[in-house]
Amino acid sequence: MVADLRHDDFLQAEPAGPLESSQNQPSAVLTVEKLALSLAGKEILQQVDFSLSAIGVTSVIGPSGAGKSSLLRCLNGLESGWTGGVKIDGNDIRQWPGGWDQLRRHVGLIAQKPLVFNTSIRANVCFGLHGWRQRRRADGLVKASLQQAALWDEVADRLDAAATTLSVGQQQRLCIARAIAIKPKILLLDEPTASLDPLSKQLIEQSMLQLAQQIPLICVTHDLEQAQRLKGQVIFMCDGRVIEQAASDQFFRQPQQIETREFLRWSVCDCD
Amino acid sequence: MILRWWLSTSALLSSLTIVLVFGFLLQSSWPLIQQQGITFIIGDEWYPFESLYGMLPALVGTVWAVALALLIALPCGVAAAILCAELLPAQLRGAMRFSMELMAGVPSVVYGLLGMWVLLPLLESQLDLLTGRTLLAAGLLLALMILPTIMVLSEDAIRAVSQSQREAAKNLGIGWDAMLWRVLLPQAWPGIRVATLLATGRAMGETVAVMLVVGSIDRIPDPFYNFLQPAQTLTSRIGREMAEASIGSLHWAALLFCGLLLAIIAIGLSLLIQRKVVAA
Repeated sequence: MVADLRHDDFLQAEPAGPLESSQNQPSAVLTVEKLALSLAGKEILQQVDFSLSAIGVTSVIGPSGAGKSSLLRCLNGLESGWTGGVKIDGNDIRQWPGGWDQLRRHVGLIAQKPLVFNTSIRANVCFGLHGWRQRRRADGLVKASLQQAALWDEVADRLDAAATTLSVGQQQRLCIARAIAIKPKILLLDEPTASLDPLSKQLIEQSMLQLAQQIPLICVTHDLEQAQRLKGQVIFMCDGRVIEQAASDQFFRQPQQIETREFLRWSVCDCD
Repeated sequence: MILRWWLSTSALLSSLTIVLVFGFLLQSSWPLIQQQGITFIIGDEWYPFESLYGMLPALVGTVWAVALALLIALPCGVAAAILCAELLPAQLRGAMRFSMELMAGVPSVVYGLLGMWVLLPLLESQLDLLTGRTLLAAGLLLALMILPTIMVLSEDAIRAVSQSQREAAKNLGIGWDAMLWRVLLPQAWPGIRVATLLATGRAMGETVAVMLVVGSIDRIPDPFYNFLQPAQTLTSRIGREMAEASIGSLHWAALLFCGLLLAIIAIGLSLLIQRKVVAA
C-alpha cells in the first residue's frame, strides 16, 4: 500500500535557514541538553538529555504525565519557556533564522488528534506551502506526500473532496502528508495511532518506517508493542526525566534501570 | 399535558404573529395595489397629492445608505474584532467589548441627535456642502450604529476557532498573519456573515436616526452614485409622513406598502441567515 517513493524526490526544493548548506544531507541530528520546563510552578521536564542519529525512529514511552508530549512541544517551539539547549545539526533552535515559525517548517509535529482544515484534501496537503502560486502548482508534491503517508490509493480520485469526509484514520494520514509536504528535517509524532483501528495503525506505522529511512522521527507512544515494531531507539521517560535510552531490542530484552523494568513489567511507573 | 399545551400554544402564537403582520401589511396596502398594480414600485415620483407613489427613490436611498454603512462598518468591525480577539490583553479586551455592548444599547434617537449636532455641521464644513443631510451622513451614522453588532459577533466567531486549529497551522510554520487569512477568518467566516446580515437588517430598519440626517428628499441621486445629496429611505419616509396620512387613504396604503417591502427584505435576510447558519 505504501508507495516506494523516496522522500528525496520532494526534498530538492528551497530548504531555508541553517540547513541550506546541507542539501545533499537532508537529515538532521538532534541534541537535547539539560532541557527543563516548568508550567504553572510545576516541573514538567527536568534535565532532559539525549541525542538522535540522522535517521530512524525514536520511540518515547512512559506513563501519562511523564512529560513526553511537552518534550515534543519544546522541540518545535510550541512551548518556549524552557531552559537548556536544543540543537539541530549544531544550530541552537532559539537562534533559528526566521524564528519559531521557520523552525516549525523544519521540525514537523503530528498531534494525537487528527486535525484537518475545513477545505479539500488537496488544499490540506498544500496548506503549509508559502504562496498561492506554489499551492496551485503542487500536484506532484500532493501525490508524493499522499503516497508517503499511504493515503494516495484511497483519495486519488477525490482530491477536491472535503477533508472532513475522510475517516479518522485517513485524516491522521492526511495530517502526516500535510506535514511532510513542507519537507521537514525532523518529524515529531504525538501518539499518532492512539484510538485508531488496526488497519490505520498498520498503514501509519508502515509510512513512518519508510519516512524514517530519510529523516529522524520521534514518536511518543503508549503502545509498547508499537515501539517494538518501529525498532530504532527507545527513550523511557518518567516524572519529566529521561530514565533510559537504548536500542529497541536491547531496551525491551535487557532494560538497565529498575524504573524501566518496573514499567515494562506493570506498565506502571514507580519512580519514587 | 398542561406544559405541552402551553408550549404548543406559545409556538403557534409566535408563528401566527408573523402571518398576522404580513396579512395586516398586505391588507392595508391592498387598495394601492388594486388601483395601480405594482408598477409604482419602480416609479420615481412620490407626490401623494397627485396619487403618485413611486418607491424607487426610497428603495435606492435605502440600498445606498445600507451599502455605505456596511462598506464602512464591516472592515472596521472585523478589524476591531481581530484586534480584540487576538492581540489585546484580557483586561483591555474586556473594556473594549464592554464599550461596544454599551454602544449597541444606546437608543437610536441619541445617535440621530448626535448626527444632527455633530456630523451634519462637520460634513457641511469639511466637504463644503449646502447641507450635511445626505446619504453619506445616513451611511456614516448607520455605520456607527451597526459597528457594535459586527464587532461583537465577529469577535465571538474568531475566538470560537479552536486552539487545535491554530496549533495545527503553527505546526506547519505558518505565521500569525498568514494564519489570520488562511485559518482564522475562513473558519470564522460563517459567524462574520451572520453578523453582517444581522447588521444589515438593523441598518435597513433604522428609522429615527436616519430620518434626522438623510434629508428626506424623494429623488434618486443624480448621478446615482452621488452620495453627497439628500435622499429618502423607506423608513424615513414612513417616519416622516405617517402622521400626515389619513387612515384608509391611498397615501396610508402606500406607506404601509413601504413597510411591507421592508418586512419582505427583512424576512429574506432572516431566511438567508438561517440557511447559512445551518450550512455552517
